[in-house]
Order: sequence, then C-alpha cells, then structure tokens
Amino acid sequence: MNVIPDAAMPAVHTQGLSKIYDNGRGCRNITLTVGKGEAFGFLGPNGAGKSTFVKMLVGLVRPSGGEGELFGSPIGSLEARRLIGYLPELYRYPEWLTGEEVMRMHAGLLGLENLDAKSKIRARLDEVGIGKRGSDRVKQYSKGMQQRLGLACALLGDPDILFLDEPSSAMDPVGRREVRELLLELKKRGKTLFLNSHLMEDVEAVCDRMALMLNGDMIRSGSVPDMLKTKVRWRFKVGGFSLLLLDWLQEESGVVLTAEVPADAGWDEPVWLEAELEDEYRAALLNALIVEQGMTLYESNAYREKLEDWFLETVSGRDQRGESR
Amino acid sequence: MNTIIRATWQEMARRKMLLITLVLTALFLAVFWFIADTVALPGGGAASDLIGQFARRSAILSLGFFFGGFVVAFLAIFSSFSVISGEAEQGVLQAVLTRPIPRWKWYVGRWIGYVSLIGTYALLLYVCIVAITGVHAGFNRHAGDNVSSLLLFLAAVPALVSLSMLGSCLFSGIGNGVFVTMMYGAGWLGGMVEKVRGVLPVEPDVQATLSRIGALLSLVMPGDGLNRRMQYVLTQGAGETIPFLTGGNPPSNAFIVYALIYTVFAFGLGLWLFKRKDF
Repeated sequence: MNVIPDAAMPAVHTQGLSKIYDNGRGCRNITLTVGKGEAFGFLGPNGAGKSTFVKMLVGLVRPSGGEGELFGSPIGSLEARRLIGYLPELYRYPEWLTGEEVMRMHAGLLGLENLDAKSKIRARLDEVGIGKRGSDRVKQYSKGMQQRLGLACALLGDPDILFLDEPSSAMDPVGRREVRELLLELKKRGKTLFLNSHLMEDVEAVCDRMALMLNGDMIRSGSVPDMLKTKVRWRFKVGGFSLLLLDWLQEESGVVLTAEVPADAGWDEPVWLEAELEDEYRAALLNALIVEQGMTLYESNAYREKLEDWFLETVSGRDQRGESR
Repeated sequence: MNTIIRATWQEMARRKMLLITLVLTALFLAVFWFIADTVALPGGGAASDLIGQFARRSAILSLGFFFGGFVVAFLAIFSSFSVISGEAEQGVLQAVLTRPIPRWKWYVGRWIGYVSLIGTYALLLYVCIVAITGVHAGFNRHAGDNVSSLLLFLAAVPALVSLSMLGSCLFSGIGNGVFVTMMYGAGWLGGMVEKVRGVLPVEPDVQATLSRIGALLSLVMPGDGLNRRMQYVLTQGAGETIPFLTGGNPPSNAFIVYALIYTVFAFGLGLWLFKRKDF
C-alpha cells in the first residue's frame, strides 16, 4: 500500500524522546525537527546514544518517554514504517541467500507486486554498484558489498525518508565517494536523509543541518555552515617576533592571539600567531600592525575549521561514557 | 506472512539442515529395515503366535520411535533456537523489522515455517517407521490408533518450536540452544524415571516418589511425554514388552491437555515478549 506523506508535516519531529536502559545509558529528552527534503547529520562519539535514537525513530526500540512522529505518523506505527528506508549500523543479511533473493524478500515485506519488484530490484542493485553480482550468495560478499546491499534494501521501497547508520563505514575510498554521490543525488530527488556518521566529510558534504550527541544528551544542533561559521581561525606566520610584541598587538587590535613558539626556537625563526576573527577586516588590521612593528609577515591565511576539528573541540574535555550503549 | 514462511523454508533448505537430516534419516531407515527384519518372526509369524508377533511389533515400533522422537525434537530445537536473539545479534533482524509488517506476523510466520516443515518431516518419518514395521511384523489395523498416535507424534513439534522461540526472546542464541536442550532433556529424564521405576527392586513408597519425580520432570517439557503416549497408543499398551523403551504408566489425557496449554502459553508468551522487545 502506498502512503503519501503529509507534506505539511515535518519529516521527523520528536518531543522529549528518551530511552533509558537498565544500565542508565541510552538517550534523554531529545527534541528535534527535521524538515521534508532536508539532509540531517547526527554526530557524536561512540556510545553517545545516536543509534538508540535512530532505532526509536524506525520502531526497533520502544521509547521510555516522550513522543515522536515521522510525517505526522507516530514512530513505530505501520504508517510511519511505510515511509522509511533503514540501513542499520550492524548490517548482515542471510548468507544462504543471493543478493537478489534478499531484495525479493524485502520486496515481499514491502508488499511490492512481482513485476514492479523485479525492475526495482534490478535498478537498486545497479544504483549501489552490485549489478550482476546480485546473483551471488551473500556469503561471497565482502563487508563493503554487504553494506551496498543494505543500502539497496533501504532504497527499495522508494522511501520518503532514509535513516542511514554509518552508510559507508565498511567501504573503500571509492565506495565512500560513490555513496556520498548517491546521497547527494537522493537529496536532489527530494528525499529526506537522516545520516548517522563518523565520517565528517560525508556530513559536511551532504547535510544541511546537524546535531551533536554526547552521553545521551543532544548538546548542540543547527545548520552545518552556522555551526562552523563562528569558528573562522586566522593564522599569521611572522619573523622577528617577541612576547612583548604579542601584548602590544592584542592591546591595539582587541583580539586574543596565541603564539606557537617552539621551545628551542632561535630569535630569528618564524612563529605562528593564531586568532579567531569575526571578519577579514580584523585580519587586515592585524597584518598592518604586524608590519608596523617591524615584524616580517611571511604568510597570513584564514583556516576554515573542518567539521572534524569542530567535533573534536566540542567533545574534548567532556566526560565520555564510551562505546557500550 | 507468506514471505516470512517462504524465507524460513528457504533457510532450512539452503543451510542444508533438511538435506543432512533426510540423508541420515534414509541411513537410519535402512538400518531400521534390517533391525525390523531381524526382530520380527519369520514370515510375519504363525497365526497361532499372535502374542509373539504383537510383542515384537511393539518392540520394533518402540525402537523406531525412540530414534524418531529424538531426531524430530533436535531438528525442531536446532533449527529454531537462534531465530530471534541469534538473528538480532548478527544484525539480520534489524533491517527486516523496520518493514511495514506487524511484528506478530513475523513471529507467526517464522513459527508456521518451522512447524510446517518439521511437521512434514515428522509425518514422513512416522509413515516410514510404521510402514517398515508393518512390512515385517504387521500393521496396527485400528485406524483410530494410527491417527491419534500420529497426532501425538506431531504435537511435540509445535511444543518444542514454541518453547525454542520463547527462549530465543529471553536468551542469547547459544544460551537458548542449551536452555531448550536441557528442558527437553529434563522431560526425557522424567519419562525414563517413569519407565525404569517399574523394574527397579524398590519398595512401593520409593516407586511412588519416583513416579512423582518423573511426572514433574515431564511437565517441564512435555515433548517426550507426548512421544511416550504416542507409543502407548500405537503399541496398544504393550509397555511390558520392553520396559526401558515403553514401560511405566503412559501420560494421561490430562497430560495431553497440559501439553496443549503449555504450547499455547509458550507461543503466546513468546509473541508478547517479541512484540515488546528492543532490537
């Protein structure tokens, strides 16, 4: 049965959604909205509660509290599950079946008619790069191939929203790139993507918004550019530097600067100065002040923070509970 | 649900469980043919030696179903013991359970898949054992006995599969294999206690105690009890012919009702747990 999602409703909406396991782990009080057609990245170190949250959304785990909806249908309901495609983090498929048979089984569970199923299975296997190897038994597949098969299964019902938990973790660089391109293509087609990933470059390239989980709590959320914009770091490579000049520069520019001075550095060795700046006018001012004080300015550049740096900086120094759920 | 039933059959066929079982069963039946031929009176026995013929037929049937009961039980246990926890541990189940089918359909589909296939195997095995015995030592011509003993033989299959699937909701794959085997073993031990107590040279009060212990153990897992009752019906109560195989009091009608309730309860509890389980 085809279910038409309510276009007026957000693809994902949760209000205080929680799952607390007996050992106190899980995730707490997650309130989140993901719009239709949006690509959302869910980040966090191992054991942060990301997979638990996704499992609640796809109906594998019963929430301890709060509520959630997918396109207006309660999470876990048949209506909600008709709209989703899901690639689990731990993906395995019956190894006694061929890739095509696995797909046929999923087509049966989706209620696809035989003829429709046949063409869709072929198309999805080609799309994820399995192609003719679909007639091989799953036990002959590498981990990367099994992950591709999982992706094909997730795409089979032409779902409106895809939950992908580490979708390319087992793939080689070529495979990762192919998956990233596929995700971008799906986004173009208007699919909503919910991406759980440790691969920051995927999230950065594909996602519009993201959230960061830590120890079961969602500690940050927002658009990817916004989260990174606040952290434009400038670096200046200068010669003839002394610590006295650092104080003067800070006073004159009103900017907090840090100096990277190697312990065994000679007086004439270049030194890196770093500062977080709101705009490039302040960088220009610093350039002028450095030159005015007779220092040599070898290099001056903006260092746009990568998501990976942002992630490491955000979670570092905080207690982490580790990998177990 | 048809997809799930078909997938269960496919799994048993592709994992060569059925093939191995069928090949070994064929070997057993060949050996059983010679055993039956050896035990039976020549030419089916003289018309005047009806008692001798009857006793030997009972002995042959008991030997056949001693093997048959075990093989059906172990096929039921080992094909289904990791169906939930094992598949969840591997990650097979997670992709399936997010599909738009109610969880009960998956559970019932798997149950039907196992019970139908193992039940068919049990039916074939029953027919073969009875036929081989019939060729060498004559048939039990009482149709009612044949039908009710067949139903009793088949009834162990849903009981075992229901317990195995229930255990799979509670324990890890291997843990559940041990659990169900031990439960079946306890039931089997109960039957053995009942069988041997009659031939032990002990006082009546000790016999009564042993009988109670045997009965209680049989309640733990009624699979073997059903098999004993089946043999009793099929051999028309010729228990004293081979005490270690068919001796002792047969399980009562109340026990059969208990076995049915046991099966329904194990199935229902498993289904309830499965619907509430987190994966």
